[in-house]
Amino acid sequence: MRGVGALLFAWLLPAAAQAEELTVWHAYSGAEEDALQEAARTWSEANGVTVRPVFTPFGAFDSKIETAVPRGNGPDVFIAAHGNLGNWRQMGIVEEVEVDLAAHCEVCGEAVSADGKSWGYPLAYKSLLLLYDPGVVDRPPETTDELIAQAHALTGGDRYGLAFQIAEPYYYVPWLHAFGGSILDDDVSSPAHAQALAFAYRLGVGEGIMPAQPTGELVGQLYEDGNAAFVISGPWFIPDRKRAIAAAPLPVVSETGQPAKPYLTVEAAFVADQAKEPEHARAFAAWLAGPEGAEIRQRVGKQAVSAVEVTSDDPLLAVMREQAERSVLYPTDPAAGSATEAQARALRRVLRGAATPEGAAAEAQAYREVFQRPPPPSVSPTPYLATMVLVLLGGLAWAVAPLREEALRKQIWEERFSYLWVAPAAVALLAVVVAPFVTGAAVSLFAHQGGEWSFVGMRHFLDILLARDWPVSSPMSFFYTLAVTVLWTVTNVLAHVGLGVALALVLREPWIRMRPLFRAALILPWAIPNYITALIFKGLFHVQYGAVNALLGALVGGTVHIDWFGSFALAFCANLTTNTWLGFPFMMVVALGALQSIPRDLEEAAMVDGAGWWFRFRHVVWPLLAPALLPAVLLGSVWTFNMFNVVYLVSGGEPDGSTEILISEAYRWAFDRENRYGYAAAYAVLIFGVLLIWSRSANRLAGKRVL
Amino acid sequence: MATVGFQALHKRYGDTHVLKGIEAQVEDGEYVVLVGPSGCGKSTLLRCVAGLEEISEGQLTIGDRVVNSLAPAERDVAMVFQSYALYPHMTVAENMGFALRVAGRPREEIQARVAEVARMLELEPLLERLPAQMSGGQRQRVAMGRAIVRQPAVFLFDEPLSNLDASLRTHMRVELKRLHQRLGATILHVTHDQVEALTLADRILVLNQGIVQQFGSPRELYDTPANTFVATFIGSPSMNMLRGLPGEEAIVGVRPHDVVLGSGEISATVDVVESLGAEALVHLQLTDGTPMVAQVPEPASVKPGDAVNLAFAKVHRFDPSTERRL
Ligand SMILES: Nc1ncnc2c1ncn2[C@@H]1O[C@H](COP(=O)(O)OP(=O)(O)OP(=O)(O)O)[C@@H](O)[C@H]1O
Ligand SMILES: [Mg+2]
Repeated sequence: MRGVGALLFAWLLPAAAQAEELTVWHAYSGAEEDALQEAARTWSEANGVTVRPVFTPFGAFDSKIETAVPRGNGPDVFIAAHGNLGNWRQMGIVEEVEVDLAAHCEVCGEAVSADGKSWGYPLAYKSLLLLYDPGVVDRPPETTDELIAQAHALTGGDRYGLAFQIAEPYYYVPWLHAFGGSILDDDVSSPAHAQALAFAYRLGVGEGIMPAQPTGELVGQLYEDGNAAFVISGPWFIPDRKRAIAAAPLPVVSETGQPAKPYLTVEAAFVADQAKEPEHARAFAAWLAGPEGAEIRQRVGKQAVSAVEVTSDDPLLAVMREQAERSVLYPTDPAAGSATEAQARALRRVLRGAATPEGAAAEAQAYREVFQRPPPPSVSPTPYLATMVLVLLGGLAWAVAPLREEALRKQIWEERFSYLWVAPAAVALLAVVVAPFVTGAAVSLFAHQGGEWSFVGMRHFLDILLARDWPVSSPMSFFYTLAVTVLWTVTNVLAHVGLGVALALVLREPWIRMRPLFRAALILPWAIPNYITALIFKGLFHVQYGAVNALLGALVGGTVHIDWFGSFALAFCANLTTNTWLGFPFMMVVALGALQSIPRDLEEAAMVDGAGWWFRFRHVVWPLLAPALLPAVLLGSVWTFNMFNVVYLVSGGEPDGSTEILISEAYRWAFDRENRYGYAAAYAVLIFGVLLIWSRSANRLAGKRVL
Repeated sequence: MATVGFQALHKRYGDTHVLKGIEAQVEDGEYVVLVGPSGCGKSTLLRCVAGLEEISEGQLTIGDRVVNSLAPAERDVAMVFQSYALYPHMTVAENMGFALRVAGRPREEIQARVAEVARMLELEPLLERLPAQMSGGQRQRVAMGRAIVRQPAVFLFDEPLSNLDASLRTHMRVELKRLHQRLGATILHVTHDQVEALTLADRILVLNQGIVQQFGSPRELYDTPANTFVATFIGSPSMNMLRGLPGEEAIVGVRPHDVVLGSGEISATVDVVESLGAEALVHLQLTDGTPMVAQVPEPASVKPGDAVNLAFAKVHRFDPSTERRL
């Protein structure tokens, strides 16, 4: 999905800048953007080459770079964190450059170096810090014991001593590092990992100093309201705060005497391989990283710049520099992705209280081994190619055979202009439907791992269908996910039809006043983009601050602490509720239309005949309504089957991937687990197969062609 | 079997006052026909009896129960809708057995009752058909059958024969009469058809603008209409209404067949002569220009343009201000 969007964007972008103009892509905003603008102006004036900074949103930045640069649609220079450098080198997106590493802080130089060469100009670094409210904290803690003690003193009522996104791996690794572990450890079930998990549990839950399941927005809100004394976040948390805020390095973990070491990300200016003016591009990037550029960035953008020559008396920058010395460079190893996913699961399980630290660490190790197993051996494509050629030839022969008939040939010749007229449509269909489908299916025969493609034939399908990696009862297995998907589809369609028809029945009652108003209001959920709805519902189901629990609490007269994403049934319900909200208006509209064609006097006749409302509905209205609803139901079932957004954004597969449906699982294989495109494509082909079978049987069910 | 009583019954839809104080008592086993111009509230009255419309004011009794607030199901009435309202997805047999099924009667009983009524209405060969596979007359009979199977206390027929052709209508009329004689049920029947009203009814209720004009036997209505509305509404061709006759204060009503041509002191000119076969309608114009109609046996002795003298065998006199019978 992300790939498709990026691709589209790359096509839509106007062709890259003209000569004597440098395009610089960045994801800066606020003061940092101002700084970049000023630097660009300064350099442009001095060198007579216009620098045009182009903002590209952070979320899509990397994938845009990865699609635009290879096609020559990208920028000359782009400013990004160093995390993806490994990939970019592999893809040939970045040019080698010459950097005076001595002029930059040591880790900063390390971040842009590989194979003894430099690949970008370091600009600035960022990492997590301990942020606090100077109004209530006199002296920031040196150790975690102090932190916990202070936090206890500041916790009470709606107020919490500490708030940060503890369930996110990025916020967890500082503790892991202090216990001597690393995401990239070969053995993630070691005592260090178990201890780090136990510590995370203690901090997040056990001590009772943190709100439940804090999200980024929640942490910001709590701080703003004066309800969080300590926050662990990065320098990006600071701008635009109305409440005073101060920073300190993360404390030393008392258990080990080691400092908590966050990941350090280094932002660098990279010269794109397709740059039209590589000379100018290098010159600008070097200048931006050098003392003059750094000075502007530090003064205007408040950046913690990598240039050692540029100093500052800003206390925040001093803290950031101090923290940089106690940090771990963000890993560029492509394997970090799946390693992180395995441990993130373990972390969430521990925080949820669903597993002991030791147990969770052992599970993480098991997942990790499957995720990181080398790709299956490649096989010879010859038999496949031969089969394909045979099938193609056979198909061709089958298509051409009737042409032996003189009459048909003549007819085709006579209709030649008709064929010409349909040709554009046929070409378009080939390009947008057939070609992607064939490509996708072909990809499923390859394995992609660590940037390497290899032909593995039907291996993925065998692995998936024979449940070779996981038992069928594991949420990771295809059949488990298929069962969940079917349950998901059935319950959704039932709920949509039930609610839609019920509302349609009510809306059609003559005593309803302001009917158009209600109708419009009830169609509204349909008109709102579904990902927005999904995000809102995610918030509504928050364990502590969500409206759902608040409402239930008001009903029972107490506080309700239902962890909606803590068990399969509840998480499934949350997803179901969200998707029902999104799905019922369609059914309601269809049902309203269908009800209009059922004469009212049929029901009146039944009423006089003594039938109650249920009997009337069941035996008079429903039999007449159902045939009209059937096509909508079948369509709805296909949409629901592939309703990625809701599952991905509401439960996100929680707990432990059990609420994942096939399409979101395919997404995870493609984008969260080291880009195993082949494996993901095999899922996609299987989804297609399931839907194909369903649509055939649905047609039979309906007695006519509806799908 | 039951009586149906209306006591000062009103029905309003918002500001529209449809029924304005209906007073009438339908006897047990009586066949009452409701007539009146379109929009006068006949269907509304039936729907009130069926319980499909709420009564705004007054009282409705069925038997000795006040049923104002009873649901349709509790009133023990059966209604035949103008549109038949057959359930399109059910066969004839299912349609006819629907009410019994609602009542939870055993399957054998339902089958037996449906078969019996189907025999009575000659529907037996059609029992397995769907409504869409039948003619209008057949559907009509199914709608009747659906009501009859229930053996209710009161039957409500809303223009049940209006969609039929003339001969089928005549046939069904006889069927209805026979049915009534056999079941002895109370029937309220709405129609626009004079003949239907006069032939079927024990009593006719004439409604105009939501007010009962007269409620009496066909003979009474014909012989002694209570007001000019009933006088002109009942009887075909309608009664001549003559105002300002010399030496006459009242409105004088004369039925066309009570007009005697040839003698008398009123003079008129013949306009048009219409032959109806056994009789002829002679359209006349009085000296002051008032048109009137005479019904005479064929062959008519006059032709257009003739000057004739008229006499009236029987006259009805109505108060010119209240239009009531004098
Ligand atoms: N639901 C309603 N809301 C408002 N007015 C209504 C409603 N139903 C009927 N009316 C009005 O009540 C009056 C009586 O209607 P009704 O259907 O009883 O007439 P009717 O005597 O059966 O006429 P017809 O012979 O044409 O069937 C009409 O003026 C009609 O417009
Ligand atoms: Mg009517």
